[in-house]
Amino acid sequence: MMSETTPLWEFTNISKAYPGVLANDQVCIKLMKGSIHGLLGENGCGKSTMIKTLSGVQQPDSGQILHEGKEVNISGPLAARDMGIATVFQEFSIVPTLSVGENIFLGNMPRSRLGVIDWRKVNSESARVLGEMDVDIHPEAITGDLSVGEQQLVEIAKAIAMDASMIILDEPTAALGEDEIEQLHQLLRNMRSRGTAILYVSHRLDEVERIVDEVTILRNGRVVSAAGETEINVSEIVSAMVGGDVGEHYPKEHNTSDEVVLRATGLKTKQGVSDATFDLKRGEVLGLGGVLGSGRTEIARALFGVDPLTDGSVELGGSPVRFRNEMEAIRAGMALVPENRKTDGLFFNFRASGNITAASLAEISKLGVLDLAAEADGTERLMKDLEISAQAEAKTVNFLSGGNQQKIVIARWLFADAQVLILDEPTQGIDIGAKIAVYKLMNALTRAGKSIVLISSDHDELLAMSDRVAIVQHGAIKRVVNANDLSHDDLVRASADPIGHASQEQVAS
Amino acid sequence: MKRIFDAQLIGPFAAMVIVALIVAATTDRFLNPGNLSNLFLQVSIVALIAIGATVVIFAAGIDLSSGSMVALLTMILAQMLKFMGLPLMLALPLILIVGGMLGLCLGIITSYGRIPSFITTLAALIAFRGLALTFNNGSPIFSLDPGLEPIFYGKLAGIPLPFFYLLFFYGLAAFIMNFTKLGREIYAVGGNPAAAVLTGINVRKVQAITFAIAGFMTAVGAVLMSARLNSGSPNYGQTLELQAIAAAVVGGASLAGGRGNILATFMGAMTIVIVQNGLNLNAAPSSVQNIVLGLIILLAVGIDMWRAELSALLSSLFGRTALQKRS
Repeated sequence: MMSETTPLWEFTNISKAYPGVLANDQVCIKLMKGSIHGLLGENGCGKSTMIKTLSGVQQPDSGQILHEGKEVNISGPLAARDMGIATVFQEFSIVPTLSVGENIFLGNMPRSRLGVIDWRKVNSESARVLGEMDVDIHPEAITGDLSVGEQQLVEIAKAIAMDASMIILDEPTAALGEDEIEQLHQLLRNMRSRGTAILYVSHRLDEVERIVDEVTILRNGRVVSAAGETEINVSEIVSAMVGGDVGEHYPKEHNTSDEVVLRATGLKTKQGVSDATFDLKRGEVLGLGGVLGSGRTEIARALFGVDPLTDGSVELGGSPVRFRNEMEAIRAGMALVPENRKTDGLFFNFRASGNITAASLAEISKLGVLDLAAEADGTERLMKDLEISAQAEAKTVNFLSGGNQQKIVIARWLFADAQVLILDEPTQGIDIGAKIAVYKLMNALTRAGKSIVLISSDHDELLAMSDRVAIVQHGAIKRVVNANDLSHDDLVRASADPIGHASQEQVAS
Repeated sequence: MKRIFDAQLIGPFAAMVIVALIVAATTDRFLNPGNLSNLFLQVSIVALIAIGATVVIFAAGIDLSSGSMVALLTMILAQMLKFMGLPLMLALPLILIVGGMLGLCLGIITSYGRIPSFITTLAALIAFRGLALTFNNGSPIFSLDPGLEPIFYGKLAGIPLPFFYLLFFYGLAAFIMNFTKLGREIYAVGGNPAAAVLTGINVRKVQAITFAIAGFMTAVGAVLMSARLNSGSPNYGQTLELQAIAAAVVGGASLAGGRGNILATFMGAMTIVIVQNGLNLNAAPSSVQNIVLGLIILLAVGIDMWRAELSALLSSLFGRTALQKRS
């Protein structure tokens, strides 16, 4: 028999390295029955890596895993399921075209003696689980027709239906409204009282404060505060998350002039921008700060002509503009470096040259014929200036590191001589050396009189590399402050407070 | 030139040579000069239509309409020559324009109408065949114009004219794909449409243009088909669209778009025609020919799907020497 103090799961000295990054460095976590354990830390701190290890998606390089005191090996997601681990990932793993019942029992359908799916059981069991959760969703409803919040609840129903002894929730409330969050929390409390171990990962510190029993905080892949070492309140958690090493590797140059290049007034779109007003000066980096889903990317899309404006106006270089699509924005000197360089940025069928000149084909061609010499010269110069690996021109760009790939995407806009660049998470998933290279590139851009709108979930980076920061909540810019006047704590708190009453009213109006 | 004749030609060229050697081994009539020149005549129609099919595939689309479009265009051409009395020199450019416009319509429906090209051109495959039957009560029209046959059977300096058509259109296509803004945009759209949008490329326009090119090349093929038989028929061009796609895929064009070399499509078309020729010379019945064409298409798509595994296998066998030669 296991004693009361033996953890259900104990992960000891888990390490995991990716090329160029040590994502988890000797991480230890103990998960107790009937306890909600918060796993916290900023983007890139190693949370996702830890979740992947816990759920069997990947194997750690070293470390020990104990299940009820016995050493085990979680060889894959199926093995994890057999050991009672259910994971609700940030991206849903439900099939939208199937019914709720089918999703709940996906991969584990109850069958009759003849081996045929026992639909009566699928539906009655689903109804039982949903009823236990006190959720009003019909088992035969098509999952894709449900609201995002309800789909999230179906995900959780899957975990409950498989009788998981441990459930991992990765940002479970990112898509939920306030009522749905409360419903989810009540559900988690019920599960806790039944002895389920729950690992809760979230950016929203205020709700963490409300629900968790203990927290483990990660920074740069290491545990900086183990369970019991930190009091569970927002300011204690923030100071542990942030630590004392802010601003060391940020070579920020200030190149702001007085000339306003871009002025946005009262922008509104159907896609989630409710009120965005700001100006951008020549040589300035304006940071957009806010949590996931706060509307930063949507503001970028509105500026770039992807989503049509329903209200408000944009002035570029003193004259009013209204872009109907990306092509018009690019012709006017705007550029968007997308968050996901693999799906939206790079042409993997091209070498560096084809990628770098892709936005300037009209400029390097006469009567439709490309000037290949000009292309080669420009590419060579940029590859040298930006220290892009020579491999980039020898093969197609899929063989390159994330840092080199990102440099190529930015080089495209240097070649195109864009005046205003929107950088959406420009350093996501690249190692620290390449990050510094991207920061230097931003300096070079502003020195040359270009202006940058920077979107980043890395608060240190946002504060250090921006001249001013606009705080975005619910698609609205709440205020614009000098980056120097804003402390890291202020920013984390301001952006991690999406359910404050003031912002609620803002949405309602 | 290095840009056009790149490593992507090695595989399709090797496939063509291997098939030719096998056929030559089965019958001594294969290498007979008459047969070889006949081979060029045979490949010309498929190979010209395959240019359009390949360009559409480069932009990540598919064109299933060309076989029926050939039938429709031969009937329109026959109508113009035989019943409307148009002179040949007027009817020929007109039919090329009609082909281009039909292709453009399919392209616009696909790109601006957001209907997958598979569906658009499948619908056209069915509808064009029906449309072809509305001319002349569905009967073929023969003896169109005395000037028509020389377009196919004529010779210049002892070389059959279709050879020059192939040279001209493949040269033009290779130039467009490798040295022009349009060619680069086609590869970009096929390689990553989302990124193409964010770099300011007019993705829909580019997609529509590829179908216009395909329609134009189908019209070129239809003219040769009419010239070859001095007739128009609603039954012409059966499975030509599949042979054209097979040529593109045997030539190494990725059905996912963005990758491939237009000249390799010619080698793909040659490979298919050599196999058919070999079966003919060995007196295989037409049923066998269809089965073999089916297998070739399957193998070609298989090669596309197993590309990674096959190239790993190939480079472990001879890839290293090929790379050394290039550097």
